[in-house]
Amino acid sequence: MTAVTAAARTDATPAAAPAAPLALPSGVKPTPARVLPDRTRALGTYLFMVADAMVLSTIVAAYFAIKDGSSAWPPVDVGVGTYIPFIVTITLTMAACSAKWAINSVRENDSRNVAIALVFTIFLGIAAANAEWAAFGKAGFGVGDHAYGTFYYVLIGYHLAHLLAGVVLLGLLAGRSLAGHFSADHHDPLRSGILFFQYTNAIWFAVATVLFVFSRVHG
Amino acid sequence: MTITDASPDADTSAPPETVEIDQGSTAGTDHKVIGTLFIAASLAFLVVGGVLAMVMRAQLAVPDSDVVGGNTYRQLFTMHGTIMVFLFLLPLWLGLVTAILPLQIGASRMAFPRVHALSLWLFIGGAGMVAAAPLASDVLGGWTLSNPLPEGAGFTGEGVDLLILGLIVVAIAALAVAINVLATVLQLRAPGLTMARIPLFSWSATVSSAVMLLALPVLVAALLLLFVDRHYGGLVFNGFTGSRGGNALLWPRLFWFGAFPLLWALLLPALGAVSDIVPVFARRRLFSHQRAVVAIAAIGVLSFAGWGSEVANLRRARPLFALGVLLVMLPVASLILNWLATAVTAVRQDKSLKPRFQTVSMLHVRGTLGLLLLGLAGELVAGLDAGGRSHRNYWGVATQHSLFFGAALVGAVAALYFWAPKLWGRHLSEKLGKLQFLALVGGLFLTVLPMFVLGIQDMGAHTSSYVADSDWGPANLVATVGGAILMLGVLLLILNLLVSVVAGKGEAAGSDPWGGHTLEWSTTSPPPVDNFRVLPEVRSETPLLDLAQPETQPR
Repeated sequence: MTAVTAAARTDATPAAAPAAPLALPSGVKPTPARVLPDRTRALGTYLFMVADAMVLSTIVAAYFAIKDGSSAWPPVDVGVGTYIPFIVTITLTMAACSAKWAINSVRENDSRNVAIALVFTIFLGIAAANAEWAAFGKAGFGVGDHAYGTFYYVLIGYHLAHLLAGVVLLGLLAGRSLAGHFSADHHDPLRSGILFFQYTNAIWFAVATVLFVFSRVHG
Repeated sequence: MTITDASPDADTSAPPETVEIDQGSTAGTDHKVIGTLFIAASLAFLVVGGVLAMVMRAQLAVPDSDVVGGNTYRQLFTMHGTIMVFLFLLPLWLGLVTAILPLQIGASRMAFPRVHALSLWLFIGGAGMVAAAPLASDVLGGWTLSNPLPEGAGFTGEGVDLLILGLIVVAIAALAVAINVLATVLQLRAPGLTMARIPLFSWSATVSSAVMLLALPVLVAALLLLFVDRHYGGLVFNGFTGSRGGNALLWPRLFWFGAFPLLWALLLPALGAVSDIVPVFARRRLFSHQRAVVAIAAIGVLSFAGWGSEVANLRRARPLFALGVLLVMLPVASLILNWLATAVTAVRQDKSLKPRFQTVSMLHVRGTLGLLLLGLAGELVAGLDAGGRSHRNYWGVATQHSLFFGAALVGAVAALYFWAPKLWGRHLSEKLGKLQFLALVGGLFLTVLPMFVLGIQDMGAHTSSYVADSDWGPANLVATVGGAILMLGVLLLILNLLVSVVAGKGEAAGSDPWGGHTLEWSTTSPPPVDNFRVLPEVRSETPLLDLAQPETQPR
């Protein structure tokens, strides 16, 4: 090979010797490779949230593009109830508080309170999911009745899917918390899971604002 | 210059600090293995997409031909485009980036090794769904999934559903990799390797991942809405806004908002790879690392500005998008000048540091540069004609095939010849490589140049047959011959990989066969599962060059 001319390097190490420490010129001060910092899962969760928020933003952008071209939004004879979304909003606000309770408890090394708070959050999450399911049943219109209906099902369904994923995640974390996996110094998975759950709440507030505030409510 | 004679320091013989190796660092989640599998999958789909292209070129070689009917032809270009963008270019970079990036930044693993493994198998599942789509029913919409509108006549059936879902799965796999790459770069860089000192291939991969993180979700959302429309009777792209329905014109806008930056994101790692390869073979530092860092970041940001140039009915915003397309070329031009300045000054430098520009990797760098210039010229015209005919006739086809296919493919091949010794411990054959270079790059030019002629002659991009009276015959025949030579080049590349790496006939590589500048060359070839036991101290963007040429170290 014409290219092998780097005479200055010591390449005596055989190519396939995994145990060899390194092919570093001798006399060079070595530095150990970096181990994974504890906050990495939370960082990954933030990055996931950016991508997920872009999906939501695109759906919302399409919603406003179509709304702006429509004479009445939703169509004049379509009524949108605000009772169920109001209930969901209150339930999820309480869930957000109890999730915060869990993260505060783990910072004080109080794993019993973490478990109680998580069970509370899971219960409230399931209650909100149930109310959203009712919002589908009592809407009085289907996916294909009008463009508002399509967005109604897609946006609420988008939150519902996230909420259910969050509930499953919190269930796993409650188990791990009871097994004593988390402490005040090490709770990156718990922090990430709760971060995700709080993000699903943010999705709901965005969805509710778009569907129920930025639409003319008829009858 | 020689530091080998220095007596062993006490520090070197001391046992290195133990590095935690958890389940994430075992072979099943080794980033090099997963990256290699991504590359293998992408090359398999390159052959599939190439065969589809060859059938199309055979149909178009002569006038009044009936190799395939119009319906089959439409299916062919749909699957060819979809496979080449989502199942070839995308996984090729996911593979090369995840195999090399942790080595370049001195990390022992990806930040989320199991997510990395998951994204590989998600990709393979999604790719299977995409590839199976035409078996279920006719898939006729083109790779933009519009005919010209998403729910036009003939765009029905389970095949399209399968295609949409498959693309969503592939996009999610790519998003998982992008998140993984960003977390790795942010958390696991070697001590001393600041963001400004990241090697340029890794930097381009970082920028590309950030672009994907913002662009791919737009595609996912659009595909999701399209699926709801087609499968559950939704009305987003259906009906008319006046009558309770949605707006079909929304589809191309959403699609290109995601797809246009994605195409640039798939070209960016090629530019980064060339920026790393040129200085090594020039045996000097890049003319300006700092400017290259800024240029690559600027390409990422500005890639979001030109999407509207591909959309036919955005009349008022046309000048704005034309400007967007032109702006993104400025940092590319800056990067090209950076490479040229490096090469020119290398030729003039000290005799003991003779540049090695005759390696196959450097030949492919020249090919990348040529296709890049050709593609940028095409994009210049297409950009000024934002939303116009040049996007719907062969001018657009030629531009996309020289810029986003040609330059990206040849840049990736340059990267393969450069990093194969590191990743797999074997050099690719240089003899076979020179032949492969002639076929691949010669074939590419012979394919795209006649396509530009066909663009000037205004042959529609989706024309499946033409009469003998038209003057399209000669250029089409040349493009078909060029396509066959290009296909030969692809097969020679795969043959080289099979013979040199898989069969192990290639020359065994030492840990640093090229005199590399960056951290990946400080470990063995192939590297151990956890990459590094210890790392050299990092005080600039070229830590190994600082050891080899301490006198040229800045500051």
